[in-house]
Amino acid sequence: MHISDGILTPEWCLVWFAIAIPFIAIGVWQMKRGTKENASYLPMLAMMGAAVFIISVWHIPVPVTGSCSHPIGTPMSAIIVGPFPTVVLSTIALFFQTFFGHGGLTTLGANTVSMGITGTFGGYLIYVLLRKINSPLWVAAGMAGFVGDILCYLAAALELALSLNPGSVLSHWAIYSLGYMPTQLPLAVAEFVFSAGIVQYIADRRPDLMLGKLWGEVTDA
Amino acid sequence: MLDRFTKTALVLMVVLTAIFIVGAYLGYIGGHEMEGTDAIVEEHAASTAVNVEATSSVPAITDMVGEPLGFTIAGIVAGFIVGYLWTGLFRREENA
Repeated sequence: MHISDGILTPEWCLVWFAIAIPFIAIGVWQMKRGTKENASYLPMLAMMGAAVFIISVWHIPVPVTGSCSHPIGTPMSAIIVGPFPTVVLSTIALFFQTFFGHGGLTTLGANTVSMGITGTFGGYLIYVLLRKINSPLWVAAGMAGFVGDILCYLAAALELALSLNPGSVLSHWAIYSLGYMPTQLPLAVAEFVFSAGIVQYIADRRPDLMLGKLWGEVTDA
Repeated sequence: MLDRFTKTALVLMVVLTAIFIVGAYLGYIGGHEMEGTDAIVEEHAASTAVNVEATSSVPAITDMVGEPLGFTIAGIVAGFIVGYLWTGLFRREENA
């Protein structure tokens, strides 16, 4: 979902930045509040930032398709440190990933919207809904990872279609989504596995590190 | 001393990093070209663009400097962190 410089039109680059900035501002404010309330929050933020960076930059080969792609890690981070702070973490990760040839500076807003906002909030919403109906923690976290991963790529496909094919957005959205899916579906399954495992592990061993105070009882194991 | 959770988490991170590095090395020496899906879809999207000129470009720093620079910075930061935690991680219990 890393859209490179030069692909999107300048107008759409600005639109995606305008959408991303309020989320980033709220995230920064929540980070400040979280570090004041819980001393363990800052190192956990650092660890989640590193995790999101590594997970979303490492291309994993998918042999059946002959191509490679990457999970996103933001749904897992949203469950552990909160969705808005995860938007900030993913923006920082996406910025540094431009050094590695992934994404671009002018498309940072668009990539933040797809990975940082759509993937994060889509996955987190699934997590909250499943926890509300008493789903086991690992299932809720895993489904958050799976759905967040898929939604992220659907959002990236929509960004491409809106910018490049304004006359036929829906059909090209479908085409670009189908281009992503064969490689992304197996990786979404991988995202299910590690999201479920890591969230369940932290909830079992160190539930105090889960932001129950900020994000409600749904984070309790 | 670090608690059991932190030790396990750090060991897990080291193991995962080792797996990534070995995997990358094997991919490198294997020479298999498995293009990223992002680039494939982007190229197709650019070729179907209507009324706009879309060409993918990456920052010039990426070609030769970006990855070594990024890994160097990450290595320095990780080195400081591991060094700071070294005694806590590897000090033996006196009564063990």
